Parts: sequence; C-alpha cells; structure tokens
Amino acid sequence: MDQRSVSAAGGHTRRRILAVLGVLTLLLAGCSKGAGGGGGGGDADNVLTIGTTYYISSLNPFVGIETQDSTAYSMLYPQLLQYGPGLKLEGDWAESWDESPDGRTITFKLRDGQWSDGTPLTAEDAVWTIETIRKHAKGATASMAKVLAGVGSAEAPDPRTLVIRYDQPMGPALANLQQMYVLPKHVWASHDTGEDGSGLTDFKPEQQLPVVSGGPFTITKYEDKGTTVFTPNPKFYGPKPHASAVALTFYTNPTAMIADLKAGRLGFVETVPFKDAAQLKSLQGFTIDSQPGNEVTNFGFNSSDAKKQNRELLDPKLREAFEYTLPREQIVSTVFGGEAKPWADILSGWSGDWVNPKVQPLPNDVDKANQILDSLGYPRGTDGVRQVPATTGEHAQPAHPMRYTVIVPNDTDYDGHLQFTLLQSAFEKVGVQLTEQAGGDGTQAYELITAPDGKYEDADMFTWYWHPYIDPDFNLGVVTTSELGNNSDTGWSNPAYDALYEKQRTTVDPAARRDLVWQAQAEIASARPYVQVVETNLVTANSTGWTGFEPKLFTLGKAYYTSPRRA
Amino acid sequence: MTPALSRIWFALVTVFVAATINFFLFRVMPGNAVSALRCRACTPQLREALLNRYGLDAPLPEQFVRYLDQLARGDLGISIASGRPVWQEITGPLLNTLPMLIAGTLIALVLGVISGVVSSWRRGTVLDSTTQWTSLAFYAMPTQWIGLLVLFYVAAAIGLPAAGIQSASLGVLGEPSMWDLLVDRTAHLILPALTLGLGSYGQYAIIMRSAMLDTLGEDYILTARAKGLRDWEILRYHAFGNALLPMVTMVALSAGSIVAGAIVVEDVFSYPGIGFAAVDAIGKRDYPVLQGIFLLLTVAVVVANLVADLVYVRIDPRIRSGRVAVG
Repeated sequence: MDQRSVSAAGGHTRRRILAVLGVLTLLLAGCSKGAGGGGGGGDADNVLTIGTTYYISSLNPFVGIETQDSTAYSMLYPQLLQYGPGLKLEGDWAESWDESPDGRTITFKLRDGQWSDGTPLTAEDAVWTIETIRKHAKGATASMAKVLAGVGSAEAPDPRTLVIRYDQPMGPALANLQQMYVLPKHVWASHDTGEDGSGLTDFKPEQQLPVVSGGPFTITKYEDKGTTVFTPNPKFYGPKPHASAVALTFYTNPTAMIADLKAGRLGFVETVPFKDAAQLKSLQGFTIDSQPGNEVTNFGFNSSDAKKQNRELLDPKLREAFEYTLPREQIVSTVFGGEAKPWADILSGWSGDWVNPKVQPLPNDVDKANQILDSLGYPRGTDGVRQVPATTGEHAQPAHPMRYTVIVPNDTDYDGHLQFTLLQSAFEKVGVQLTEQAGGDGTQAYELITAPDGKYEDADMFTWYWHPYIDPDFNLGVVTTSELGNNSDTGWSNPAYDALYEKQRTTVDPAARRDLVWQAQAEIASARPYVQVVETNLVTANSTGWTGFEPKLFTLGKAYYTSPRRA
Repeated sequence: MTPALSRIWFALVTVFVAATINFFLFRVMPGNAVSALRCRACTPQLREALLNRYGLDAPLPEQFVRYLDQLARGDLGISIASGRPVWQEITGPLLNTLPMLIAGTLIALVLGVISGVVSSWRRGTVLDSTTQWTSLAFYAMPTQWIGLLVLFYVAAAIGLPAAGIQSASLGVLGEPSMWDLLVDRTAHLILPALTLGLGSYGQYAIIMRSAMLDTLGEDYILTARAKGLRDWEILRYHAFGNALLPMVTMVALSAGSIVAGAIVVEDVFSYPGIGFAAVDAIGKRDYPVLQGIFLLLTVAVVVANLVADLVYVRIDPRIRSGRVAVG
C-alpha cells in the first residue's frame, strides 16, 4: 500500500470517528429530555411518570394477585366505597348509604355516570358483578368471593339505587365492599362461560385496549413488567385527574429506579429503598416523604401439629424466649436504615383504633431468653448449642440440638439475608443455631413453608412480611383454621381463636367489635405463631415539580392518581 | 460419515438433550403455574380444574411426550400466563435483545481488540500489565455487579436511561416521530450494551494479545521493519489483520456466555428482552414460554458453534482428514 492510500484510509477513519461522535451527540441530546421529554405533542410535561417495584399482573380482577393490581382496578372500576385522606372510608361511586338497624341491609345511593365507551353506568352493573361473584364463589371468582362474605342477595330498584342484603350481620361489610370492583356488565357478561365461569378468568382486558372503564382513568398501554399508561376517562363521575396521563413504570431493580429519579425521568417513586432514603433526603430537587405504617415484617414459626421434627418449636413459651432474643433495634437501624420501628401486632398502625395498644414488642433481653430456655429444660451442650431431650408418646422425637432452618424469601423489599445474619448472631447468644434456607420467590417460599404439599410438616421458621389491610378482618382471618392451605403460612389452628374471629366478624357495633378484635390480637401475640418484628415506614419521593401526593392511598383510593398536580 | 455431517448430527443430539433437560429442570422448581397464581382463596376444585386445563395434572412422561410431539410439529405451545402462542410471546423480546447483543458484542470486540493490541505492542510495560489486569478484572466480575456499578456511576451522572427500552412518557399523548423513537430506544440500549461489553471484553483482549504476540514474532513482520515501515503501519497493515482471525472463532464460541450475560443484564436494567422474559416466566412458572426461550437460546448457541466447527473443517485440511480435534 502506498503512502497516498494510507492517507486516504486515515481520512476515512477520521470521517467515521466524526460520524460516531455526531450520533453520540444526538443520543445525549435525546437523553437530556428527561421525564417530560415525551414526543408526540400534547401537554407532555403534564404526564406524571411513576417508578415502582410492584407490577400489575393482570387487568382482570378475578385473576390479579399482586399488590399493584389493586391500583389498576381502583383506577379502572367503580367501587362503592374507597379510602380517603386519613384512611377513612368514604363514598366513591356511592353518594350515600344507609344501614338497617339489624345490620343486614345496606342501601346505596349511586352517582350518575357512564362507562368510558358511553354505556350508562347503573346499579344493574353492580348487581351483575355481585351475583356473578357469588355464583362462581368456589370457582372462577373465588379470589373476590371473600369480600362478599355473608351477602344473601343484591338488587337494583332503580338505576341509581343498590340494595345489598346479608344473611347475617357483618362487621366488616363496608370495608369488604371497598375491595369490590364493579365491572361493566355489557363487556363481561359474555365471558361468563365454561365450567364454573372459567371464561371469566380467561378474559384478558389488557389484550383489548383501551379498557372499558368507569373510573378516573382508562388504560391505553399495558406492559406488566414495563410501562402502563393511564389516560383520563372524561366520563368519570368523580373528581377529574390533574395530570394529562400517568405512566407507571416497573423496575426490577430499585437502584435503576433511583438513578432515573435523579436524572429527572420520574416524577414520583412510590417505593424508595430503605437504604437510599437518607441519601435522597440530602439531595436538592426532591421531596422525600416518610410515614409510619407501610408493612409489617415477621418471624414466623411452623405452628402446625403436623410438624414432624423439632416439635419443641410448638411451645409458645419457647417462642417467647425467641422473641426476647430478637434484636429489633439493630434490625431497624441496619436493615431498614432507621425507616422502621419495633412492632408486635398483627395489624399495622394504619388500622388506627383497631390496634390493641397493649400488644407491645418484648425488649431484646438475652438474659431473660436464656433464663426461659434453661427453665424449659434445654441445657447447653459442649459446643454451646442447647440440647432438646428425647420425648415419648405419639409425637416422640429423639434428643437433638437446637439447630433450626429459617426460610428467607428473596421477594422482600428489604435485605432478608442481612436480617437473617443479625438473627443468626443474636440466637447464637442463647445457644440456638440458625441456618438460612433461600426461600426464592413468593411461590417457592410458600411451597417451602407449607411443605410438603400444604401439610405443614417440614418447615421450622421463616421470615416474611405483608401489607396489612386497614380493617382487621383479613389479617385476623389469616391465622384461622379455615385458611390452612390457603392464606395461612404458619399452620396454626386454635378453635377458641376461630370462634373469637367469627364473633368479631358478625358484630356490627364498632365498640363491641373493637373489644373482640383486641382480644384476638392479644391471643395471637401470646400464642406467637408469628412474632412480628418491625413496622416499616412508607418512603416515597417526588420531584419538586409535582405536588399533591397521597402516598398512603396506595391501592386504597382513587385520589392516589387523581390528586397529584404540577407545582 | 463426513466430519461436517458428524458435526451436524452432534448438534442435533445436543439440541435434543438440552430440550429434554429444559423440560425436566423447570418442573423440579417448587410450585407450578397454578401455585404461582398464589390464589390462596382458590378452592381445591378450582386448583384441580386449572391444573387440568394447563395439562399439568398428567404424569410427567406423558407431558414430555406431548411436548416432543408439539416440537416435532414446530409448535412451541401456548403460554400459560397470557394464553397466546409462545412464538408470539418471545418474538418481541427476541427482537429487543438482538440489537443489545450486537451492540454489546461490538463494544466488547472494540475494547478487547484495542486492549489486546496495546498490551501486545507494549509487552512487559506498565501499560501492558494495566490493560491485562483491567480486562481480567472485568472478565472476573459478575455481570450483574458491573451493571450495578454502571447504574451507580454512569446512569445518573450523564443522564442516560437506567431501565426499560423506551421513556415512560414517550408516545403517551400521541405517536412519536420515528426519529424520536430511534434516539430514545438507542439511548436505552447504551447502558445494557455497555455492561454486556465490559463483562465480556476481557476474553477478547487476552486472545487478541496472544494472537498479536504470535504474529509480531513472524518473519514477515521483521521484513516489514527492515523495509522501514513505521510502527503504526506494521500494526495496521501487517499484524492486525492476521491476528484478528482467531477472534472470529472466539466470537462464535462465546455466544453462550454472551447470551447468559444478556439474561442478567436485562434483569438489572429491566430491559424487555429475551432474558427478562425468561426471568418473568420463571416467576410465573410459565413452562411453555421457558421451554421455548431456552430451546431458542440453545439452538442459537449450538448453531454458532456448528458454524465455527464447519468453518474450521473448511479451512483446515488436517481436521478434514480427522487428524486434529476441533478445539
């Protein structure tokens, strides 16, 4: 190759480099658009972009089981009631309601409205929804049947009046109805086909966008693990949303979500990782909101009488010793970055007056724990691990060391492994050796905890968490015998507690019901199928360009999306 | 049987074995598509009905025979989660993954080649040690960790998108222009591709350095020097081209590790590609989609290796005569 061709090649190279630089410049120019940089015209700057680590699994309320599904349903479908600011029940589609003195009949006066396709929204839609759920309560609509527990019939004397009759008085009737989403009969009735209504679960509204909606938004784009776009429904009967649209983006990785928040691509983050909260508070341009009462974490025991090994764990006195061993304060500071507090109640603080103030966490007292374990007859072996003597009888077990496995799921929004490390270290001080078993995702963890095949024979202990409801009925119901194999992850069964639970359920007088609810909480706290560990804060962040957020109404009220507005 | 035919036969057997392992491996995971619904209010009757509908109540061997029968007809089955054909479910993610894989591979090649050339040309110097250790360090790091470092130190610093394939607000209030879409999607591609490139360039750097050292020891390089050519010209026009040949084979052989890297990269960046779809399908225990994805990936890797083998057979007479084993 002569010198001229070498120079020509060099010229080509320079031009290529310039071209690459040009493309990069254009890309970086595109990147700088940030959250309001959407193309396509319109008031793109008024599109609220939300980052979340919870995804919408389905737009079909008979199928969805994820936390975020409730957000979508409450934005798409009318509810008779919803929670408003202060977490008080208020009317949504229902303008007003009357309860009969015997607590068996509730009459709702409904607002005038239309579905997004122009079809009138009437009480007939509510009656169809209720009757359909009841008809397939053991089949396709089982997941929603509980909210209609005790309902005997529903009727619509006129398009704006709905009468619901109960077979027996129902204490949590109104709170339960808050979780019922009224579906458009003219869309859904044709899917009530197949064995026990299987056509209802097969229907996928997300595949026929925009969804026919009666709520403040319809959905015009749906990606379960991507971005879902909520567009205002002009025919909504209630307050109109301030934002031109809401774009909800799912992140598998909270680090990426925080990076996008910092880069100005998100207007609101509804689940700030606990470890990031302190750092974000020091940055300009964001408002960090931290409120107590988001979720309750627990240290659970397999409390089933079917348990095959390590049956000493069934003894509530031993579990009391274990509660004294829990390093709650250390967990609060290390795992949750201070965004939590020690907690012992099965309800969260959001349940307000329903929370029994006498149920308080035991202090971290290693001496007391050792004293109890000594008194129960578990001496330390030469290796420092306590020994359980052999037992005889129906459930005889040989002598064995106190070595237990703790199932730790990885679908938590905190570092479960780190928490286990703290627990392991704390339990060593009382002569108990813990081993971690990776619990995997929620499905796997539940299988392991209730193994084998939902019989509760194998597991020792587990750590997990939940988002409690406002009304205590659901949480108290989780530990009833009827939930074995379903919601129960401890396998605990106590007929006296079951009776207490049923009694609170059928008590309509709020004060009388509260007494029963408090008794139930005290019973659980004493028996300790779970030991609740901490109550975490709900930490959210928003760009200072937006205001009017109601973080506590996540999944609970339509104002969660309708109230945010440009600052 | 000729070497080429024997390699094709071996590739087919590999695909069959992989498909068989995939089928049983996913079913070993605790839970199934029905328990993954976590419909704890569901009655036993409903669970039974769902298992029956998804064909999960049949004995495993029977499910396996049904699966093979479907495969033989080119049918990957129906997604349990969406009810749509598996082909439809995986085509979109696959098309999303390809540009990222190509961009990531290009980044890895460019970084690997530059590192290898610089390292070999300055052999024994601090520069050589630094580039070698840097490339080895990146190669040793788990790809998802590199992804997190990129998120921490690159994403927010220069404003590049940290997740997804498209800005959330793009196209919300109307159709975006093709140019806006192209720029936006390319911007979303950069960090995942960069992570993939950083995670895999080390292997190319090492091969390139070794090949360059071999080439630079050849007599014709000595001749070029004797002719008075400048260092750059010797590198560019005499050494580089010949040293690049092993890289071509290396790219084909590393297809498996690149695809594996793409799976974790997509999960870190919520990038809706084939790896992201696989992780999602695992969570839902959507066996047909999982089987479809891993069959597709297996076939892609096997084909890449087969092509490399056949090229070797073509260009090396010793292999054709069966005297040398393919490496």
